[in-house]
Amino acid sequence: MTRYVMVIDQRRCIGCHSCTVACRVWNKLPLDIIYNPVVSEGVQGTWPNVHRNWTPLLCMHCENPECVPCCPSGASQQDDDGTVWVDPKKCLSCKVCVNACPYGMRDASHMENRMHRFVRKCTFCRDKRQLDPDAQPYCVETCHQKARIFGDLDDPNSEVSKLIGSVKTDRIFTEFGTEPQIYYIPCLGGQA
Amino acid sequence: MKHHYWEPPIALYLFLGGLAGGILFLSAIFNSFVIPGYGEIFAMPVLISLVCVAIGCVFLIIDLGQPGVFWRVWTTATSIIKWGATFLVIAAVFALLYLLAYLDQAWPIFAPLSQLLLPAADFFLIVAGFFGLCIMMYTGIMLSTLKAHAFWATPALPVLFTISAISTGCAAVVLSIGGWPAQITLESLLAAALVLEILHIVDIVLVIAELIVLLTMVLSFAGAGNVTAKKAAMRWVKGSYALLFWVGMVFIGLLVPLMMYIGGGHSAASTVVAPILVLCGGCLLRFMVVNTDDRADIPGEIRYYNRVLSSNGQEFTTKWEYGKNLF
Amino acid sequence: MAEISKESTGFKDLVCPDIVSTEVDVNAPGVEMVKSLCYFCHANCGVLAYVKDGDVIKIKGDPDYSNKGGLCCRGTSALLHVNHPARVNHVLKRVGEKGEGKWEQIPYEQGIQEVADRLNQIKAESGAEAVASAGGTTRTDDFARRRFLNLFGTPNGFHNALLCWIPTFMTETCVCGWSPFETDLGAAKSLILWGMNPGASSLPSMRGYTDLQMQTGLKVIMVDPRYSETASKADLWLPLRPGSDSALALALLHTIIFEGLYDWEFVEKWCDGFEELQDRMIDYSPEWASTITWLDPEQIRAAARLYAMNKPGCIQWGCTWDQMGRASTTVAHALTLIRAICGNLDVPGGDGMPGPAINYLTDEEMELNDRLPEEQKAKQIGSNKFKLTSWPGYQLISDNAKRTWGKTLPAEWFCEAHGPSVFKAILTGDPYQVRALIVNATNPVNSYGDAKMTLAALKKCEFLVTVDYWITPTALMSDYVFPAAGALERPIIVTHYGATDSVMGGRRAIQPKYDRHDDFTFWRMLGLACGQSEEDWPWETIEDAYSEIIKPLGLPISGWDEFVDNFRMYYPPLHQSKFIDNNGFWTPSGKIECNSTIMRQLGYDGMPSYTGTAENPEDTPELLEEYPLVLTTGGGFMPFHHSEHFNMPNIRYLYPDPYFYINPDCAEKLNIEQGDWCWIETRRGRIKMRANVEPIVDPRVIMCPRGWWFPERDGSADLDNPFGCLESNVNTLTSVDDIDCDPKGGSWSNRGMLCKVYKCGEFDKVFKPEDAQFSIPSSAKEPGIHEMPSDQKLCVEPIPFEMPECTKEVPEGYYWVWQNDGIYQKGTHFKLDDSGWLIDPKTKSYIDAYTGWRYDGNEQCLVDDATGKKYTMERVEITYVAGVRTYPGQEAPYAVPDQLTWDQEKGYAVLGDKPYVYDPNSGWMLDPATGAYHDAYYGWLYDASANCLVDEATGNRYDMSYQPLQ
Repeated sequence: MTRYVMVIDQRRCIGCHSCTVACRVWNKLPLDIIYNPVVSEGVQGTWPNVHRNWTPLLCMHCENPECVPCCPSGASQQDDDGTVWVDPKKCLSCKVCVNACPYGMRDASHMENRMHRFVRKCTFCRDKRQLDPDAQPYCVETCHQKARIFGDLDDPNSEVSKLIGSVKTDRIFTEFGTEPQIYYIPCLGGQA
Repeated sequence: MKHHYWEPPIALYLFLGGLAGGILFLSAIFNSFVIPGYGEIFAMPVLISLVCVAIGCVFLIIDLGQPGVFWRVWTTATSIIKWGATFLVIAAVFALLYLLAYLDQAWPIFAPLSQLLLPAADFFLIVAGFFGLCIMMYTGIMLSTLKAHAFWATPALPVLFTISAISTGCAAVVLSIGGWPAQITLESLLAAALVLEILHIVDIVLVIAELIVLLTMVLSFAGAGNVTAKKAAMRWVKGSYALLFWVGMVFIGLLVPLMMYIGGGHSAASTVVAPILVLCGGCLLRFMVVNTDDRADIPGEIRYYNRVLSSNGQEFTTKWEYGKNLF
Repeated sequence: MAEISKESTGFKDLVCPDIVSTEVDVNAPGVEMVKSLCYFCHANCGVLAYVKDGDVIKIKGDPDYSNKGGLCCRGTSALLHVNHPARVNHVLKRVGEKGEGKWEQIPYEQGIQEVADRLNQIKAESGAEAVASAGGTTRTDDFARRRFLNLFGTPNGFHNALLCWIPTFMTETCVCGWSPFETDLGAAKSLILWGMNPGASSLPSMRGYTDLQMQTGLKVIMVDPRYSETASKADLWLPLRPGSDSALALALLHTIIFEGLYDWEFVEKWCDGFEELQDRMIDYSPEWASTITWLDPEQIRAAARLYAMNKPGCIQWGCTWDQMGRASTTVAHALTLIRAICGNLDVPGGDGMPGPAINYLTDEEMELNDRLPEEQKAKQIGSNKFKLTSWPGYQLISDNAKRTWGKTLPAEWFCEAHGPSVFKAILTGDPYQVRALIVNATNPVNSYGDAKMTLAALKKCEFLVTVDYWITPTALMSDYVFPAAGALERPIIVTHYGATDSVMGGRRAIQPKYDRHDDFTFWRMLGLACGQSEEDWPWETIEDAYSEIIKPLGLPISGWDEFVDNFRMYYPPLHQSKFIDNNGFWTPSGKIECNSTIMRQLGYDGMPSYTGTAENPEDTPELLEEYPLVLTTGGGFMPFHHSEHFNMPNIRYLYPDPYFYINPDCAEKLNIEQGDWCWIETRRGRIKMRANVEPIVDPRVIMCPRGWWFPERDGSADLDNPFGCLESNVNTLTSVDDIDCDPKGGSWSNRGMLCKVYKCGEFDKVFKPEDAQFSIPSSAKEPGIHEMPSDQKLCVEPIPFEMPECTKEVPEGYYWVWQNDGIYQKGTHFKLDDSGWLIDPKTKSYIDAYTGWRYDGNEQCLVDDATGKKYTMERVEITYVAGVRTYPGQEAPYAVPDQLTWDQEKGYAVLGDKPYVYDPNSGWMLDPATGAYHDAYYGWLYDASANCLVDEATGNRYDMSYQPLQ
């Protein structure tokens, strides 16, 4: 089996937004749709004892996604490899899945044809991987800092498996029982 | 939080759906168990419920991004929305049959059809009333299953919505009972008056119940450990929603009609103004609840979207259109 | 990602939409991959462009390039850039009033000819120097521009170079002979990043630093008043007061000297004037610096120790020092001395000094600088004041480089007019009226200092031509706007402004769209239209010019595209510790000059001494009452680059408004909240930006991003502030008054100014026409010109320099260099050795002083490298017949075998009357006609295939011992 996950190394992320733009450009997203924002609380602390940290986000491709069973039309679905995606042909855009997601990682654009809006979300670049099974998602490919690492968790030799097995990783909002599959290596440092 | 994913049409839909369900539910109970035999006086309330369902469905569908594909709601098994749609359709169909059974009272041309349906009219209303109850519960349950939203994910919400739906249904029946197309007879007038007397009491009970559930829910959230729910509830209690909540919903939507019901006797205040206020309060409740779609924030998210969203509507977002060269 | 087809309509589509995938298959048939380079910032990341039917369908980062497959926001948006609807696609000729935005599209050739005619007219009327040209940052190959300007005869080309590396480069070159800018981080233990933020400006570098921090434990010291992206990953961070860098640098130097942390051996052997430097540094203690820099003295000592004791170490070059105004070269000077005395120059793990490209053509060799007459050089605006970066300093440095390296820096970038002074000349006619300005790939209103003055100059300029991608505020004021080919539409060569010895390249992915052309083509066509000759522009395309540049590498390629396909980059063999092989640094004296002789010769102090910025709390406390905060500007910030990309919706969406940084403590006092629009005001003007309240800067500091304009607005609607180019443009606040500029390098004041901040009021939130009025000097209270540029003083007086008397006799055609008492040949700059030979610094070979021929020690002869001919030591041409050296008219110089005879006339030994030449090295006879071997007894032909001899007369065959064969 294959289980795609992403490891995000916050020790390396510098908040350049390259992933956000690469995703938007190559997935041809409307302006108001951002699959993978890089959020930050900004500089924290009291000058000059400060620190800062960035959290690159994307769909968590949960093991128990909230957004799939609630879909009335069968558009929101999950592949065997864990990829959660929306079939635009089937989507009513009732936005129940958008409201179901605890991470706010889905939305329908307000800048498109009023009669043809559908719910969009990160698909780990499913279309790209269908053309080329070894392809990496755009956000991973474009990251200068190699802060995003994508791979198969079921393969013990993959980089993600090794990282998750060797470094302490965090996940966001595990309390919903969604089993998110994006693993964060936190930046504990701050200023030396 | 980026923006409200569900916009006013959905709140209206939830209100109208609940209202229709409430009307059908009460009509069925009164018609079958309290004063059987005066079915025509419920024709108008049922008509109103149909109108509510129709308008609600229109709002629902225009809120969809791809309305043409709406039929797909019946293609899956698990989705709760599918159940809502199903309840709505069944209730509407049986309500329509019920209405048709009495339509000849105003338009004799329908007499053959009405004569055909009349024997089963009570059954139609029972079915419609049952599914009306389902709709009322569905509107609350649907929101409460979305556990990402702390303010919705509480068992109190379906209770609140159901009580509010019956209460508004009650108000609507009060305002419309015995109306067109019923041919009013002295008997039916008396029956209607009896219903009104009972509903008067019922609505007093419902408004008090709603007040209790609402305050319990909001105030317990306001003291809760869940920061998201607490933040949302504090907005109701003393934040930006406080005026709407305390003055609009609690005072005008519940306390004033309650006082009118209790002290107003058969005055216009009690029979006309109070039900209208109850309806307004119910509508306001749906709006406020739907807009309280607070999700737990990922640290930094608000700061990010505050900046990015200030792009919306700025000139640069629409100034250039690819394919249309300027120079 | 899939999306709903926009083609189909109708009911069927409504209930069951057609879906099309937006994914592009780069492996589909007919798709070609082209190795290109990104062209949106200096990092020039590798890009793979996938081309189908003459159009790029997709790009991605090149995994085999320094960016390792990464591409930032800007690079990723290249396709959106190529097809952007606001791109200028045709030559636009102004038909309305200036700035009205009414254009006529005309053919490219017509536009070029009209501009050329006008330039020639201005040249005839006012001299070539009345034409100036402003350039931009690596969007162009400016050797072509300099070639045009030299041939045209004007010295007044300029860039924003004075804010970017050039004063630093020149200072460093004065001290140690070349800029030590190529850090060898892999072997380094410590790294100082000074005021630079690669985390937002050079992502491939940031990747390298991060990797090394994690892999080799590289210690990163960050000097930055802002807690930048990079600072947040540093090991030691020094948040100094903006503009106090010179004090910090001097205190570091002081600490390293007086704590004895420097490399004693290196200093002893390679440094000149260290004692003088030591005396100069006495007062610059960390305690002294702490009041100026707001740092703790112990922090300064810690940084000095961390760098000096973790050898080898690097100080990464950055542009900070060039943007300090007055203090610019002081900082660069002190830091380069730190590198030097710590022994970190040109060593493994230290700061490498590549020197000019010996193995291929430097930009300087493409510029034709010798075609610019001396009297025109003297007219270069600003060269009488800012000498280090204009002809006076360049000449000294360049001549020295030719003496020491054998090649030199390009004049473009390193020897330019003082940009702001050119704008002042347009406004004032002082020192003379500049009438025409050709602006290429820059928007001076946003990128040069004192934006109000610059805008006024552009409006007043009699003839303004702009070459750009966009209608910038500058283009809006132009008479002609030419479209420029951008990334993917042109090949790209990376030689770091012609200042290094490696080369990297990318191909043109597609031919330029519409009427866009690359800048080489623009200048070439303009040159030819102005009457310059085809011989001076021998290359028809930019690829041809690039091929010429790399031809000396001798690679097996037929042109530029093949170079990119097969090599992509060229690095000379690793070349560290060159100064040891060279037995000296590349300064006039051959040593690290702690007291620079070139600077002294130019009338400057040869050693650094403390200089503060134009305004600061220490030196101008009287300003503090009105302007209590320290303003810093100039830092790059993602996702923009300089003043570009504000019109890319995809990028701008992330950062829609200008935000300045303010500490929460300060904001609280000023009653400012996150997102509030505020005025930021200096003595020179005010701008408005939104507040970003976070503890990212000191509570006494305000930091503003640069470059803001609003391309979405209608520029013509408000000509006082077209496209809002002044209202949020930080350069409205900066100063270019001569007294605020660096006296050597001319950089103007961007950092460490004093300002105040207040919230935009209900009745004071619009940038008004009176906010747009310029004044000279810029801090004058009333608008207008109050002082002529010639009357403006520098912040220091020149120090008279007297050159020592020459005690040697200097032959005709030679000149004397006072620093090393050497005599050099004019023109070639070869040193005249005591032996009477010249020495070529490139190869260290001896050159005949009379003929210029190289001495070949193996053959004991002279070689003319231009023709390949060889000569005897008596300068008689050596003749060869069939590859055998001959000695016509001489006695046989070698023993002639008995069976042969010496033919004195021909100069070689012959066998009877046979036409063969005897080769004394092999003992065989050679047939000049065929080159075939014959034996020296019978003259039989040697048949190599059968290893036998053949008597051609009879056809008989013999073995090698003359026995007949059957």
